[in-house]
Amino acid sequence: MSERPVVLELRGITKQFPGVLANDRVSLDLRRGEVHALLGENGAGKSTLMSILYGLYHPDEGEILINGEPVRISSPKEAIERGIGMVHQHFMLIPVMTVAENIVLAEEPTKAGVVLDFATARRRVEDIAAQFNFAIDPQARIENITVGQQQRVEILKALYRRADILILDEPTAVLTPQEAQELFAILKNLTREGMSIIFITHKLNEVLEIADRITVLRRGKRIDTLPAAGATEASLASLMVGRDVLLRVDKTPAKPGDALLQVEDLHVLDDRELEAVRGVTFEVKAGEIVGIAGVDGNGQSELIEALTGLRPIASGEFRVDERRLTGASTHRILDSGIGHIPEDRQRRGLVLEFSLAENIALHDFDRPPNSRLGWLRPRYLVERAKRLLRAFDVRGGGPQTPARALSGGNQQKVVVAREVENDPRVLIAAQPTRGLDVGAIEFVHRRLVEERDEGRAVLLVSLELDEILSLSDRILVMYEGDVVGEYGPDVTEDELGIAMLGGTRETEAVA
Amino acid sequence: MSVAPNTLEWAGIGRADLARYLGWAGVGLGALAFFLVLPPVTARSPVVPLVVGGLGIVAGALALREGAGRRLATGAMAAGALGILLGWLGTRSNIESLDQVFVWSALIAATLRAATPLTFAALGGIVSERSGVVNIGLEGMLLMGAFFGFLGADKLGSWWWGILCGIVAGAALASVHAFIAIHLRADQIVSGFAVNFLALGITGYFFIEVYTDQGTPGDVSNIPSISIPGIRDLGFVGPAIGDMHLLIWVALAFVVLSHLLLFHTPIGLRLRSVGEHPKAADTVGISVYAIRYGAVILSGALAGLGGVYLSNGITHSFNENMSAGRGFIALAAVIFGRWRPYAALVACLLFGFTEALALRLPGAYGEDAAWTTLFRALPYVVTLIVVAGVVGRSIPPAAVGRPYVKQ
Amino acid sequence: MSTGPSEPTVQPPSEGPVVKGGGAAYRLDRWQRAGGLVAPVLTAILAFLAGGLVVLATGHNPIEVYKGIWNGTGLEWFYQVGSHGVGLPWSEASVWFPWDPGSRAAENLQQTLILTASLVLTGLAVAFAFRCGLFNIGGQGQYFAGAYVAIWIGSSFAGMDSLVHIVFAIVAAGLAGAAFAGIAGILKATVGAHEVITTIMLNFVALYAGLYLFGQGGPLQNKDQVFSPTSNEVLDEARLPVFWGDPFLQGLHVGLFLALGALVAFWVIINRTTLGYEVRAVGFNPEAARYGGISVARNYFLAMAIAGSFAGLAGAIDMLGWRFSIGFSDIQSSTIGFVGIAVALLGRNTAVGVGLSALVFGALVNGTAARNIPVEAFDIPEQAGNLSLTIQALVLLFIGADILILYLWAKTGQRIGVGRRSPA
Repeated sequence: MSERPVVLELRGITKQFPGVLANDRVSLDLRRGEVHALLGENGAGKSTLMSILYGLYHPDEGEILINGEPVRISSPKEAIERGIGMVHQHFMLIPVMTVAENIVLAEEPTKAGVVLDFATARRRVEDIAAQFNFAIDPQARIENITVGQQQRVEILKALYRRADILILDEPTAVLTPQEAQELFAILKNLTREGMSIIFITHKLNEVLEIADRITVLRRGKRIDTLPAAGATEASLASLMVGRDVLLRVDKTPAKPGDALLQVEDLHVLDDRELEAVRGVTFEVKAGEIVGIAGVDGNGQSELIEALTGLRPIASGEFRVDERRLTGASTHRILDSGIGHIPEDRQRRGLVLEFSLAENIALHDFDRPPNSRLGWLRPRYLVERAKRLLRAFDVRGGGPQTPARALSGGNQQKVVVAREVENDPRVLIAAQPTRGLDVGAIEFVHRRLVEERDEGRAVLLVSLELDEILSLSDRILVMYEGDVVGEYGPDVTEDELGIAMLGGTRETEAVA
Repeated sequence: MSVAPNTLEWAGIGRADLARYLGWAGVGLGALAFFLVLPPVTARSPVVPLVVGGLGIVAGALALREGAGRRLATGAMAAGALGILLGWLGTRSNIESLDQVFVWSALIAATLRAATPLTFAALGGIVSERSGVVNIGLEGMLLMGAFFGFLGADKLGSWWWGILCGIVAGAALASVHAFIAIHLRADQIVSGFAVNFLALGITGYFFIEVYTDQGTPGDVSNIPSISIPGIRDLGFVGPAIGDMHLLIWVALAFVVLSHLLLFHTPIGLRLRSVGEHPKAADTVGISVYAIRYGAVILSGALAGLGGVYLSNGITHSFNENMSAGRGFIALAAVIFGRWRPYAALVACLLFGFTEALALRLPGAYGEDAAWTTLFRALPYVVTLIVVAGVVGRSIPPAAVGRPYVKQ
Repeated sequence: MSTGPSEPTVQPPSEGPVVKGGGAAYRLDRWQRAGGLVAPVLTAILAFLAGGLVVLATGHNPIEVYKGIWNGTGLEWFYQVGSHGVGLPWSEASVWFPWDPGSRAAENLQQTLILTASLVLTGLAVAFAFRCGLFNIGGQGQYFAGAYVAIWIGSSFAGMDSLVHIVFAIVAAGLAGAAFAGIAGILKATVGAHEVITTIMLNFVALYAGLYLFGQGGPLQNKDQVFSPTSNEVLDEARLPVFWGDPFLQGLHVGLFLALGALVAFWVIINRTTLGYEVRAVGFNPEAARYGGISVARNYFLAMAIAGSFAGLAGAIDMLGWRFSIGFSDIQSSTIGFVGIAVALLGRNTAVGVGLSALVFGALVNGTAARNIPVEAFDIPEQAGNLSLTIQALVLLFIGADILILYLWAKTGQRIGVGRRSPA
């Protein structure tokens, strides 16, 4: 390992944003042909560091050396010229354009310098794809191919521009375990061809599998760089967080009661009028947490939207507490005992410009005591908000503070507080810990278990298998709009992964 | 399926295609219902539009059942209904009036004339919006082009100077909008609206300064028409096309050029990428700001050219606020044409037709008939129907209207 | 199939707060929200300065021009303090009053306030829609709708009790404006048609409808003056009483109180009712509102309808207060709906803001009316109107320049904070 030359070095990189020191004198080096993992929890500064390397940000201090020479990278264009390619976490692809168009953008082959040469573009894409053993259709539109394939297009973009340093930002966030394996195979292939790879992640198991060396970041500082051989998940976790971390939530076994949520043969259409949910049937009992696992885009979002009245139901039924709610308005559903922690708190859960008190009142502002005959009564709103903010330990502001002033974790606490306050029979949590730091994640998890123990029925939908495995009493897997499997909490990730890809359709006996 | 599946399979027509054909057939039948009542056919029985338009409605309903896009199907039914209504109205009119209004060669010529400023402005709108910047200020840029185009031709002696001045004036106003919307990241609609006001104020001010209350002189150098000897004598389109104003030809040429530029050149690809996903474009090294600036300024130049045609080409004069909402109609054409040049041209021709019609009707029915004034609202009503009923949920470039923040 | 995880809304890359105390944007934003007058005042000043530059560029003296405009506004009345008497309403008694109610400046001030009253209402028409996230450019058309109805009712139904007649006309005008705007509202609510285009089109429809109604041979044309394209006159009993000034010389009518009442109503609705809560929620974040059970479509419609009613009321008080008839040229040259847009934007869509901003614009428009400009300043007094337009446009533009101020703030903030661009 030590004979391989250093192709890239970051020395003392510092970057300050308003109120937050994202990178604090971070140093890192990358050797040719290695996979170097950059590990840290959300907010540790990994993405910032790589964005600096890719020219999207300018560092306040520090320098970058490529093959020993100090360089200045002030734009993605310069990064590309220096052979650095980046595969972003949120794909930088244009949905309405084709694969080939996306790949050749800004370096288009032309006829006579003026007219786009589509044929040559297609050929070049096919050539590169063949060289690295990808299978891709250059004429397909991005919006019509799978997420795994889109990621390959992102990689091809970098290869087309002759990158020899490749940065991947949380690439497996959207992949099933099997697709992740395919990705790892591709990466191994690339390193054999001489490419050097930086792999950003917060997933411990992946890191041990793919990386040669690991650099751990915490709160903007580099904590350590160590070879992957010899590291364990536990040791890495404590480096990431600075203390011993519970990797699984402590909970007592479930004591399920009556079925509070019953879904029968539900069919729901998506925005393009195709069936997104195809005859799903399940139930959630009081006092249990049911987790729905699945790759993003297999109907989970549409299912939740249907259950909360945000999307019409094509056919089928669902009932809460024996009351039929099919076709009810969102308002009535929320009144009938469903609480919903939405997957995008800033878009759906909160009105950022409203104060915390107003946000907390989002469901019941038109009912006494908050209002009477159309007249708002702010005093009640503020009183209740004060009580809840204290109970949920929300920091960063008071009842009159606008929601946008709070951190993500505190915002999510406000959302949870509001939903729980409504005293729902069924609590639906969609991606409840997305973008939160470990402390907030622990809080949300503990809270969900508490609500379960209070006798509510909790339906958890998450793309993080860890979360599902750690919280759920029963696990359902959704694939292409169907529930393809039901499992107990002892199922392995592999089994889930297979099911998530539409594999076996067996149902394990629930203990 | 209502039609024998085997026949369709044999003809190679899928269900989706059938639905689409039915939809367009409905639209065509609706239009036909109206045209049959006009010269030269001049059907007099109300049954004719009723039956033909009725068929159109049926076709639309069938299309809906077979799964056609809702817009097309409802558009067909609307066309059918409108065809019945207008056709019925036509049968109630006396024949002489119809003959006087519907002189097709004159109507076509008038349509082309009215459509041309709209076309230029619409092309500008397409370019700007495809790059992600809403341009409500087309109206103002049109006005600037109209005034300064006229002023240039007058003071500098030739129509060529007029065109140049008009283009520069439109582009200059556009650069203000560009700066405010792109650089300062203000709300693009507010900015566009403000430049409209600005154009009103500036053109009005300088109009009075230069021409006081005498109005514009009548002998300013005019842009020539192009006479094509052979075509001029053809059938009923001959006089219209064979003797067409230079700028009309230019407009049509620009439509073709725009299509080529947007969809067959690298710069067009980059422009569209900036409008769909500016962050993605940025990460491959495209300068979002530069492209947006260029697009907005180009849109101003195009609208300015349209304005020059308005003042110098059609009326050979300038009046305050002569753009009269054309910039907004052009925007409706952009949406109607789904941000594609050819389709927008069709929309502009449609609107131009209604305007031409509205101008000819009073001549036939008497100047004193007050209701003919209402017909001048026709272009705006049609725009309203189009935007509301047929176009409602068009999908614009994904990032349009949102300022881009470069870190 | 989806395209990867949905993009989070804008946040700096770390998990830190979106804006914190240290952020210049947040501070300025909070200041503006708290009613900070700095930005709008700066905007207005900048606009006037720029307008002066335009005047200078064309060879006229900006000082003379602005002096003439100022005199025309009547605002100088406020500092002409002296010792005068004023009559109490409904009595013969006279009471001491520091200002002279009959001076030339007073007359100008009355005119300014007449305009202000109408501008308050057309400004509210835009502001209310804006609070729901809708850009109501149709104020002009909605004004016309109200005006036509007010004229028609005001000039018919002779013999009605005066108060009833007036109230009837006003209410009907408000409803007409609401219905007219409601069309755009329904279109937005059902098919999502963009309200900018639909309202602009409706403006033209209203314009031509008026030309038809009151033109030669039109159904509502003046019965007595067959050759003149105007409407009938509003009957005496339906005219709004004048409380200050000479009724024969367009004194200030009680419509002003209606406008002030509308300001209060606006504030109360927006801030103290559930409807206002819904409107604000939809305006800030329609998705979250929908998720919270609020009907976005219903609010789009209601917001437009209420906005339209304000503009309709403006039409009513103008017709019943001082115009008393409407004709071809009035319709073609009316711009009060559009000035309302500038009023709302400068006033930041708040009640107090719209009130003050309406006063500013009322003064501007009145001051630049031809009769007020001394000949030395402008050869052709109509130029002042164009100057006024230009200044209005500049005000709108510089509202965008609030961002400029913000930008400058942020830059200075960064210089104080950590780090500059690294040379490496």
